[in-house]
Amino acid sequence: MRTICWTVLISAGVAVGSATALAAGSETDREISLTIYNKNIALIEHVRPISAPAGRQRIEFAGVSAQIVPETVSFIAPNMTLIEQNFDYDLLTPAKLMEKAVGSSVQLVRVNPATGAETTEKAEVLSTVGGTVLRIGPRIEVLREDSLPTRVIFDKVPENLRAQPTLSVLVNAAKPVNEVARLTYLSRGFTWAADYVAVFDEPHGITSVQGWITLRNTSGTSFVNARTQLVAGDVNLVDSEEQWWTRWQQSRNTNQRSIGTENTGRPQLGDYYVYPIRELTTVANNQTKQVSFLDAGSVKASKGYELRFYGFQSYSDPQSAEVRMRFSNSKSGGMGEQLPSGVVRIYMRDAHGQPQFVGEDHIGHTSAGSELALKIGDAFDVTVQPTLTQTRSISKRKSEYDMSYLVRNARATPVVVTLRQDGLWRENSVLKESIAGRRTDFNSFAWDVPVPANGESTLTFTLATSW
Amino acid sequence: MAALLGAQIARAGPMEVISPQADAVSITIYRDLFALITETRTVDLPEGPVTLSFDGVVETLLPASAVVTDLGRTPEERNFDHDVLSPNNLLTKSIGKSVTITRTLPGSGRVVQTRAVILAANDQGITLRTETGNEALHCSGIPERLMFDDIPHDLRATPRLSIHLPAGKAGKRTVRLSYLAHGFAWKSDYVARLAPAGNRMDLTGWITLHNYTQAGFRGAQVQVVAGKLHLVSTEQGGSSLLGDSDDLSDWNLNETREAALEDLRQKLEPEDPGLQLFSGCHAVPVPATLEGRPLDGAESLEEVIVTGFRGSLRASLQMKRDAMMAAREELGDYQLYRLPVATDLHARQTKQAVFLAKQRVKVDHYYSFAFDGRGSEDLESLTPESTIAFENQKSSGLGEPLPEGMMRVFESTGTGDLFMGEARMEDQPVNLPVELSVAMALGLGLEIDASEATRDELRNTGLDERTDIELRAFNAKSVPVTLEVLQYGGYRPNARISKSSQRVRRKYGDFVWRLRVPANGSKTLIYRFERPKDADSEPAK
Repeated sequence: MRTICWTVLISAGVAVGSATALAAGSETDREISLTIYNKNIALIEHVRPISAPAGRQRIEFAGVSAQIVPETVSFIAPNMTLIEQNFDYDLLTPAKLMEKAVGSSVQLVRVNPATGAETTEKAEVLSTVGGTVLRIGPRIEVLREDSLPTRVIFDKVPENLRAQPTLSVLVNAAKPVNEVARLTYLSRGFTWAADYVAVFDEPHGITSVQGWITLRNTSGTSFVNARTQLVAGDVNLVDSEEQWWTRWQQSRNTNQRSIGTENTGRPQLGDYYVYPIRELTTVANNQTKQVSFLDAGSVKASKGYELRFYGFQSYSDPQSAEVRMRFSNSKSGGMGEQLPSGVVRIYMRDAHGQPQFVGEDHIGHTSAGSELALKIGDAFDVTVQPTLTQTRSISKRKSEYDMSYLVRNARATPVVVTLRQDGLWRENSVLKESIAGRRTDFNSFAWDVPVPANGESTLTFTLATSW
Repeated sequence: MAALLGAQIARAGPMEVISPQADAVSITIYRDLFALITETRTVDLPEGPVTLSFDGVVETLLPASAVVTDLGRTPEERNFDHDVLSPNNLLTKSIGKSVTITRTLPGSGRVVQTRAVILAANDQGITLRTETGNEALHCSGIPERLMFDDIPHDLRATPRLSIHLPAGKAGKRTVRLSYLAHGFAWKSDYVARLAPAGNRMDLTGWITLHNYTQAGFRGAQVQVVAGKLHLVSTEQGGSSLLGDSDDLSDWNLNETREAALEDLRQKLEPEDPGLQLFSGCHAVPVPATLEGRPLDGAESLEEVIVTGFRGSLRASLQMKRDAMMAAREELGDYQLYRLPVATDLHARQTKQAVFLAKQRVKVDHYYSFAFDGRGSEDLESLTPESTIAFENQKSSGLGEPLPEGMMRVFESTGTGDLFMGEARMEDQPVNLPVELSVAMALGLGLEIDASEATRDELRNTGLDERTDIELRAFNAKSVPVTLEVLQYGGYRPNARISKSSQRVRRKYGDFVWRLRVPANGSKTLIYRFERPKDADSEPAK
């Protein structure tokens, strides 16, 4: 049996066990492509020239991802049939080297501590349990019992001990092969996410939005000059632990206010959007790589204050209103791009004109033409203080609530605060209100409360609800 | 294209421009363990495509947050390399490469050098191939050391951010690089000194800011942002080490902050220089652990604050002299405080500045007592809380936004200042009343008799509940005091006070009385609380 060794990044010396059987052939990938999903998984394809004689032989793949999922490997080469496939995790360490040498001979080089003179002897390793026992000629000794300097030299390194986990396949070639083979597999250790930077110019009612795809490679392996594409969409990974939770969070998605239906001309792959990186790129291990995919200069945007209350309650502490930035990723709004799931970081300019970070929000995969209301933070100067002024039981199942919401604005500009009374029972109606409100869905009402600069407004209403 | 040529060629060629350091730095510190670092750098760009590399960025940089502006070209790609030049990385990146091994033989002291290929290097040791065969490093007992021919190109002492730029106009440019970095925090603390009469106070606000990172800044412009930002956890790709802010509420926020800070500080601790990979075999002595200067722990931070207080007692005078007061401006819906002059912020430093100094603020000092009114309390020993309240407005001598923080109250007496107590204050916008309970009262006691009507007594009254309350307050102080009694009740349907010996007010839906308790005297409050029956359970009229 012979071994063919493929190496990519590192010279032949790495493929420790196989140096003697190194076959002719290309040492690098002719092509390598990475398709990276945003669920810690990537599809990797190596295309490599292969030249091998006819017969049964082992082929090693150095330079594959250290986080390969071995059961997903597929190896396709013309005129070759796969017999067996191995992924060896047995790391080459000094201790392993000694263990595997049991029963074979090594050289001992001893140094005389007084003179520095070296003497070399042959020895047989008998055991490595709790120390190394050697047979040297007729004598049995324990290695370095005398604490004197002793080097141990091994003739060879066992084949299955490796510097890094290595994939090998046992194949049978019908005839001598000199072609191109494809190796594909899934690997862990890759993630990508979209990251957005929005510089919000509130006075002019616009925001810039830059989108970056952030790619992280923690697979333990670098990929040089790879054709790389990123796939947005939710790949269904059966073994993902927090699947239910993630799905629930995605469906929760309260900052998307309407779902768009615009087409952007982005390449699609089934239910996924594909973001190819235009040029070949090196995806180094432990590197964070970012590729620009969106640069919208002026997107219509506005700021809004909102607060939602579930149930009827008095609060002794005023509650801060939520600040949201509203915009649309529609063509008419100035963008016309779908937005893959990620985090939007929002900046506003300070008195010196320098952008300062003001908050961030997570968005789900958002099709073009959707309305978004991203939460920036809590308003320091706009607060709401609810008081339940009176409750009445009308019947066993029906109650009336008199609510009063005191909205204060300590800002030098007037604001409008959208208050929502949510989580009502099945039958509900507003009996009285100081400002005209609206029903927002079957169990909630909303009121837009205008508040003057440095002033306050009070919303009062009486609501009947029953079950 | 730079990307096509690969990093090595780009590095060797003229197409990489390295900016070693920033010309000027601005640091905006947020409460939640990060800061926005904005650096101004001057770079000289060639006409062709170029890789622009920024060295000397803060090691805790969040790559996804980086923004580079004023480039004159649109960046296509950027990379953040965090493979630092450490002994371990030097070794693992040299697997398969040739190195020189130097042995100093004992006795003669003869130095022998041989070439070797590193076969494997991991946490269990290093295996080499030499001319004579294969052997392990540092196992023989002979002093051995490795010499590397060069440094693997992607290893660097500090992390590097590089961006690939397309061709554009050549020339010198001033670019701005900004990014978020973990390891910074700030908080506000207040010192209130009550005048002897108890109706005025001097209020001083302190900013205490921390740099927990290894990065030092010279002549930096420093500001802090007050307000609650909406943040996403780092696990979800956001900036927050505290988790999603949607999952945090006021009551667990401070706890979470402290826990996250502790984790972060451990992470930022200088690594044990144990050279893990080099000590894989037993023969190497582990270098002595450096006696690191202890981090500013929570305890020592307290000391810093206490020192601040001492200063504050003379604060007004001092401040007029050095005018080191942070100026406030509005940033969106937050408050931003700017240190007035550029300052040095060293690694692991704590810094303080005053952001608020108001004299003779109108204040109300009274005692408050809140209870359920159902006779369910332990009515034996009832102690009201010492409370200070003020209107945060100009006419009261204040009218400034007050970022959340600890308020510590001192009472001026003839002989000196007495510490009265402390309370945590939430963010306070202007024009809102502030009420803080700072201590338990001393020399003011209560007795309450609550008699709840029985089911029999309630028959035919149309009432669901009726309680007669008699509350007696005893003042052992030589001054009269004000006592505010609050009975919860707003949330209970149809609740009302049907008779009362004193005027009753509604406060946020609850029932409130104000009593003046004379010096060395007592005062009694009598009232009746009742709740009519639900409409449909009442017999038809």
